[in-house]
Amino acid sequence: MANTQRNFMVPIEDLLIHDLYVLVALAEQQSDSERLKQGITQVLSIIDGQHQPWLNGMDLLEDAQQSKHLLSTGCERIDFLLQGGLREGHLTELVGPSSSGKTQVCLQVASNVAKEYSGSVVFFDTGNSFSPKRIEQIVGQLSDHSDIESNKLIEQVMNNIVCHPVFDIFTLLDVLHQLESKLRSQGGSKVRLLIVDSISSLITPILGGSGAQDTDLLVLCGESAGHALMISAGFLLKELARRHNLSAVVTNHMVSGEGGTLKPALGESWKSMPHVRLHLFRDSKSSICNMSILRHPYINLQLIIEDGWLTFEIERKYKILSSRGPPMDTKSKLEYRLKHWQPVASVGNNYLEQYAN
Amino acid sequence: MTVLDTPLKPNINCQNSFHVGAQTAWEMLREEDMLTRITTSCADLDNILGGGISCKEVTEIGGVPGIGKTQLGYVFAILGFCINLELLLLLRGNKNYRIQLAVNVQIPAHYGGLGGKAIYIDTEGSFMVERAMQIAEACVKDMLEYDGLLRKDSQARQLKMQPKELLGNIFYFRICSYTEQIAMINFLEKFVSEHKDVKVVIIDSITLHFRQDFDDMALRTRVLSGMALKLMKLAKTFSLAVVLLNQVTTKYSEGSFHLSLALGDSWSHACTNRVILYWNGNERCAYIDKSPSLPSASAPYSVTAKGIRSLASNSKRLKMMQALD
Repeated sequence: MANTQRNFMVPIEDLLIHDLYVLVALAEQQSDSERLKQGITQVLSIIDGQHQPWLNGMDLLEDAQQSKHLLSTGCERIDFLLQGGLREGHLTELVGPSSSGKTQVCLQVASNVAKEYSGSVVFFDTGNSFSPKRIEQIVGQLSDHSDIESNKLIEQVMNNIVCHPVFDIFTLLDVLHQLESKLRSQGGSKVRLLIVDSISSLITPILGGSGAQDTDLLVLCGESAGHALMISAGFLLKELARRHNLSAVVTNHMVSGEGGTLKPALGESWKSMPHVRLHLFRDSKSSICNMSILRHPYINLQLIIEDGWLTFEIERKYKILSSRGPPMDTKSKLEYRLKHWQPVASVGNNYLEQYAN
Repeated sequence: MTVLDTPLKPNINCQNSFHVGAQTAWEMLREEDMLTRITTSCADLDNILGGGISCKEVTEIGGVPGIGKTQLGYVFAILGFCINLELLLLLRGNKNYRIQLAVNVQIPAHYGGLGGKAIYIDTEGSFMVERAMQIAEACVKDMLEYDGLLRKDSQARQLKMQPKELLGNIFYFRICSYTEQIAMINFLEKFVSEHKDVKVVIIDSITLHFRQDFDDMALRTRVLSGMALKLMKLAKTFSLAVVLLNQVTTKYSEGSFHLSLALGDSWSHACTNRVILYWNGNERCAYIDKSPSLPSASAPYSVTAKGIRSLASNSKRLKMMQALD
């Protein structure tokens, strides 16, 4: 650190080991202490810029309460299951067998978030299943305005949803990096929700395998690179969600496991990647879909899944996801539960109390 | 009715587009209005498919052997001006259905077709030219008839289509192994960019070579999902309709055997839409199993000498209604 004129240097070792106060005290002993202190502050700020800032628990809690809001999904039952909706900063995974409603939930959530919250929705579509016609139907149902106004509203809402077709993992990573640098540089338009439908179809061609005889992607990557790409995609999504206060949703499909049961695809390492995992299941040839929580950071699963499954129905024809099923008086049921259970997570409990009031 | 010929155009208006090909939902909605769909020539099927098979999507059709080999015919060429190809029925044994698809796409635009060419990839070797000729002739006859019905006042438009011309617009490829199949799909992109007027790609029995040659199931899954992504990209980039025909297999779950489409659970996510053909008593029916925008519905159809048509009892009445419009 050549910041002195008096041949006083702070050894780098000292800079790294000692506390700030010790360094300042050391600098005080020197004659040119002001400049030395400035120099020390400069170097430390450069170092801090290279890594994540240290946060303590209070900072995190403040961040969670002030900047990480809940995004309603547009369906009361799902909101109730998730205690308010999708949380910004979380990576939510929808996993289910084919035609169980994953894309419909994604379209519904996209429409509702684009309508209710200012900010845009980014939709990565790998299977050409983004249907603007369906979005129009959903937005039309969500709004109550008269015909003339609703057209303008629909146009405005649909202009906030951007769809990117991506057909390989490299394009996805590339676009996510571009999105990150764009969000970091301009304050401008805020992204609220990021949906990848489906991430498993991008990762399945490169996951596993023993080497170079496979598809061209694997020839390029090698055996474990597919795994590394999957994990880095997951981390990138989580980082985007945390740093820029958006919510990320991915969909996954199921493969057959032992005994003929279905299990989520993408393997064991992916299991711990999303914050929230939701399992969707549809009875064959009916339009009732069931959703349950496989994993959640703070919802007490026992408290919610009291009667088994919470159901919601996909009305495919001209309506949106609406709540149906046995009439449920939210407030009284919550009170009953609070009286008779001691929920584990206190954060969840506080939320429930607010919700009941 | 214009059809998008260009591949994805860069989006200048959208402020959020930092990636070529990104579009807002509103722009996609406007574009969708301009996209035509390919008719199946059967009104009921067209209805449940929202007008027909849509371009830019991959549709999978599956069914038991012999589900619809008889032709329903091109009678619905008139009714097919609803212009949606809902067809994507997975016909395993319904060669006629597929053959009809290849010919329908060539109906010139003013008759409600796309005026384009078709690629037919045959893995089973079951394409019969005589049958295709028969359907083409019926199609031409129907177009003449439609011409007569609708343009009674003005002079009849000269119909320049000959059945042989219709057959001449089908590109036929024969595939004998899975490596050839993979190579073919890799080659399709180059082929379609050279022949811009191809509007539909039909792969007859995409599953045949993958059911018997593979010992390593994990490899099969990887190859199949890679293939599915390539087909999706092809459909999106060139605005094609991709139709995949699939076979059925028996699956054991929950204590009973039932029929399901071949190639396993991971393949079931490789398509945008899925239609299942099945027998309902003595009727052939089609059922929409998976679709992002269509409600689940089923419709009966029948196969006649002229191709695929609705059930005979309904056809006359619908034809009269159409003629009165």
